Amino acid sequence: MSVSNHSGSNHSGSDLLAPGAHGAVGGEPVRIALRSCDVVQVLARKGRAGDVAAALLGALGLVLPGPGHAADGRGASALWVQPEGWFVVAPRGADGALASAIKAACGDAASVIDQSHGRAVVSISGTRAAWVLAKSCRVDLHPSAFGPGRVASTQLFHLAATLHQTDAVPSFDLIVFSTFLRSFLESLTHAAEETGYVVA
Amino acid sequence: MTQPFRTRAGGQIDRTVTLSFRFDGKVYAGHPGDTLASALLANGVRLVGRSFKLHRPRGIYAAGAEEPNALAELRTGARREPNTRMTQIELYAGLEAASQNRWPSLRWDLLSLNGLIAPVLSSGFYYKTFMWPASFWEKVYEPLIRRSSGLGRAAGLADPDRYDTVNAHCDVLVIGAGVAGLAAALVAGATGARVMLCEQDFLLGAGLVGQDDGWREATLAALAAMANVTLLPRTNVFGAYDANVVGAVERVADHLPEPPPHTPRQRYWTIRAGTIVHATGAHERFIAFPDNDRPGVMLAGAAATYVARYGVKPGNRALLFANNDAAYLSLFTLHDAGVVMAGIVDPRAESPAQAAARARGITVWSASQVIGTSGALALTGARIARVGSAGTDTLVAADLLLVSGGINPAVQLASQSRTPLDWSEPLATWVPGVPVLAQFSAGAANGVSGLREAAADGARSGAAASGGDAAIALPEDVPADATVLPLWEVKGRGKAFVDIQDDVTANDIRLAAREGYKHIEHAKRYTTHTMGTDQGKSGGLVGAAVLAEARGETVQNVGMPTFRPFTSPVTWGAIAGANIGKHFAPTRLSPLHDWHVKRAAVFMDAGQWLRPAYYPAPVDSDGWDSVLREARAARRGVAVCDVSTLGKIDVQGRDAARFLDRLYTNTFSNLAIGRARYGLMLREDGIVFDDGTTSRLAQDHFFVTTTTANAGPVMQHMEFYLQTVWPELDVTLASVTDQWAAMSIAGPKSRATISKIVDGLDLSNEAFPFMAVADATVRGCAVRVFRISFSGEMAYEIATPAGHAETVWRAVLEAGEEFGIEPYGVEALGLLRIEKGHVTGAELNGQTTAADVGLEKMFKKRGDFVGRVLAQRPGLTDAARPRLVGLRPVTRGEQMRAGMHLVETGSSHSLGWITAVTRAVELDGWIGLAMLENGASRIGSRMQAASPLHGALVDVEIVSPHFVDPENARVRV
Amino acid sequence: MIRIDCPWCGVRDEVEFTYRGDATVVRPGEGASEEAFHDFVYKRANPRGWHVEWWYHGAGCRQFLKVVRHTMTHEVRAVARATEMPEVPAE
Repeated sequence: MSVSNHSGSNHSGSDLLAPGAHGAVGGEPVRIALRSCDVVQVLARKGRAGDVAAALLGALGLVLPGPGHAADGRGASALWVQPEGWFVVAPRGADGALASAIKAACGDAASVIDQSHGRAVVSISGTRAAWVLAKSCRVDLHPSAFGPGRVASTQLFHLAATLHQTDAVPSFDLIVFSTFLRSFLESLTHAAEETGYVVA
Repeated sequence: MTQPFRTRAGGQIDRTVTLSFRFDGKVYAGHPGDTLASALLANGVRLVGRSFKLHRPRGIYAAGAEEPNALAELRTGARREPNTRMTQIELYAGLEAASQNRWPSLRWDLLSLNGLIAPVLSSGFYYKTFMWPASFWEKVYEPLIRRSSGLGRAAGLADPDRYDTVNAHCDVLVIGAGVAGLAAALVAGATGARVMLCEQDFLLGAGLVGQDDGWREATLAALAAMANVTLLPRTNVFGAYDANVVGAVERVADHLPEPPPHTPRQRYWTIRAGTIVHATGAHERFIAFPDNDRPGVMLAGAAATYVARYGVKPGNRALLFANNDAAYLSLFTLHDAGVVMAGIVDPRAESPAQAAARARGITVWSASQVIGTSGALALTGARIARVGSAGTDTLVAADLLLVSGGINPAVQLASQSRTPLDWSEPLATWVPGVPVLAQFSAGAANGVSGLREAAADGARSGAAASGGDAAIALPEDVPADATVLPLWEVKGRGKAFVDIQDDVTANDIRLAAREGYKHIEHAKRYTTHTMGTDQGKSGGLVGAAVLAEARGETVQNVGMPTFRPFTSPVTWGAIAGANIGKHFAPTRLSPLHDWHVKRAAVFMDAGQWLRPAYYPAPVDSDGWDSVLREARAARRGVAVCDVSTLGKIDVQGRDAARFLDRLYTNTFSNLAIGRARYGLMLREDGIVFDDGTTSRLAQDHFFVTTTTANAGPVMQHMEFYLQTVWPELDVTLASVTDQWAAMSIAGPKSRATISKIVDGLDLSNEAFPFMAVADATVRGCAVRVFRISFSGEMAYEIATPAGHAETVWRAVLEAGEEFGIEPYGVEALGLLRIEKGHVTGAELNGQTTAADVGLEKMFKKRGDFVGRVLAQRPGLTDAARPRLVGLRPVTRGEQMRAGMHLVETGSSHSLGWITAVTRAVELDGWIGLAMLENGASRIGSRMQAASPLHGALVDVEIVSPHFVDPENARVRV
Repeated sequence: MIRIDCPWCGVRDEVEFTYRGDATVVRPGEGASEEAFHDFVYKRANPRGWHVEWWYHGAGCRQFLKVVRHTMTHEVRAVARATEMPEVPAE
């Protein structure tokens, strides 16, 4: 039998985000944090996008965004991720509650899939945040091409990720598959050592 | 530590700081702003290397990337880097470098005897000389060639430095910060465009030093003040790819003794540009004449660069051999710096520059050429003769011979971008034609000569590239005429090199042509012409011209070998970037990973996943003890396995059932809500693709599982058919692999175990039979319970949102404690499935049909599904195809191996192969599964399993693949 | 490296996509012959020039796109959604 020599490690990577300053000193460090969020995937059924839009406007005050964009509603944001498909992201609440609320609002107009355990949200913020991301991100994050409220699903550190710019600092939320979270954080923090990074 | 060849003043060096460095162990001094080459010349070092094949002594020939000779091993130990160009190495305090390809020393090189056997080292010598006998290749020829030829040595140690990659985007990319590039960037920057300016040199606008320093400084200041302009010195653009994407390497810390903490040594840039301005300059080309490689022979422009930029006289007494007026300006730079003038040799009858030279009191031999050189380890003089005269020649004493055969615009990157090349008669060279992509060539790269004209050309290109315009000042210069009288080769006795680095002579090119390698691409490969680190920047066209003459054609008709990346060498470190070690590929961890680590599991890779292979216990003497213990628990009591890695796809919609009917060989539309069904999926060509269970959670909602390996491919397969073949269907797809952790509880005590912890669900066999599915809770956590089995035992799978995985897992272990529950890993999982005869990727290997693995009954009676039609092809339904069988060694204790071939006793003709083996718990010894021709009809017979590689031959009995419970009764109790 | 202007995501690098072959072949309907399926799976024109092909934007919107690419130059002339037909240049 062939056996891997990988040593054990914490699957969530939380040990990688020890509070304090890491990497280079004296520059403009970025801030990296793990955000505790619910993520619900909403996929409109055929021909029902209008009904979904109305349901989410009513339930969460969300005006569903088009490709490449996000929109904020009452305590939740909607991110476009695929044609007639969105992530609704909100601060972590009761298990399954957000998905249930959306399901109740949408009825059979949408497939509502709770991904709160299947996705992790990592935030990176700071004047050099786009530089750190550009080490693997092939999407142009320059202010002339991207900006607050913009969303891109792309590859980061060999992984599928959805990137959401949340403000002009700039700050980004990076939504990744939860089973890859540790690997993602290993590469993200490695990339951020050049500028230095701070974990609150 | 004197620098006898340093001028008193001038140059872009800091004379107030002296840097100490070592070359071949000896200590020298230089200044900030020096390259290793300029510092060595300042110290009078002329001999810097031995040639690649013939071990001829070589000196510094150029002042930039076109350098063929001056290659060094830079730094020491793990940081040693071979084949670095001394002309581009920025000097720093403590720099250590060594010459290459000499043994035992540079001055006394025993391998220079190669020169005496040069006749056997001619073109194609690899192919001709060392052909026979074949057995000599490995033992004699190859070690000999490797010892005697080649360049520097790799460090052989892990590189301690980090490297990085970065992605960039811009409106206008300007490649080259010579005068044209600076002007282009200034204009484009002034229009507000996002501009990037890449320059391989550490000094921007180096060519302006000593010419118009004021314009240079003002322009650099203006560019530095523009927030929309990114200046990247020390950054070589090495390749142009489709769609205006280029690759570049920034030497971030190569000019420092070691990189600062967390700073990469080099950074690999991938730049996506709207438009590109190629302001890559030009490389001077040499003229091939006998012994044109002696230390002291140097490109004319390079010599001028050493004087103007570095304040270094590259020799004491200079002779110029040139066919163009522009080259005279280079000599005049040396003249003005006080270098003694030996004279000028010019094949042309007369020219304005000849008159200017005579006015300076410099001797000019018109209509003459250099026919040879003298000297041993350094040049002592040149023999010159009038063009067309035979026998009469003059020896002119000189320690420096400047050569100029004209210029070659650096069209490499433009040509890589599919820009055609046009022939320029005045310059006798290739210049860029009309670009295909949104690109421009400017300045010397565009065949323009003179600083002022080049700046104007750059400004025009910058405006065109940015779609705007801005007026800029232009630099002052002395107008130069670059028109040449074409002269490629002076024939005579002695080696006339057309590729100095690769030791390729004009005769080698002619030999290639005689032997049929007439095409430029063939001649290149046969002779290795232009295949060195300098990529023929100075001599490529010279070799092409020699080939043209041999073919009786024009140079234009012969063309040039295709230009490809890399224009200059790039380190493997830069190419790998940060993607090494754990950053090379991501690792996927189960939500139960932390528990497995705490339980000291032995892990194995399963695709990207890290999975427990087995869980060692103190009672186990080896891994097999653990595996057998775990499997016995599953067969006789209860055991639990983390199966979170299985692919999981949420399929919903009005047409979800119809969609699955079309994708799977069996039917799902008649599956009851709350029930699961095993499904088999084919590729369109009829070969088995994947299998797994699918559960119906609601009329319009299914939960599909895939094998661990095929989770991604099955999702993509579903998306392909949904989006491109049946877009009218109302179906949504979502991967929920990460959302749900899953564990398989297997064994006769599995129901008794989970009944203790599952709330809200009647688990009795009547209420929850085999293949039932329902939601419930465990310790308050939402779970979904499936009664499905991979082991062949009564078994349940419990899925729960990943964050609850450990809570539920621990609950299962506690509940099973009284029954001796064991966690089991992938090895025991494999053991159990082999005993049961269930197939996995080892059997479903992309070549097997459903019938091959005994699943032909899974085809529905009617209706289309992917793969149905082509699965019925005669070749796929032939009864003689290899078919799944079981194996047992006749002598029970004997071990079989996966991969062994099955042969009739005494035969060496393979009739099949073993796909998987294991030690069994329900039977004695080893068992295996195999794919065997006419397998069904061979059950009960004996064959041999052979592994010639291991020298193993085992007598085996062919049996049913279902070793355990073939009636499948255990799963239903 | 080619760049593909995804109708959903904008211009993206080639590495985000997976090539999935000729987008002009049409899967035969139910009851079609073995030969029809054989042609669907195996028979390809292999043109020198413009080619309409499937590219799957797996790292982005997960959509199959029809890309008009020149097989000699790699130039991408047009990109369309799966249900649309892009315009193909004459040569």
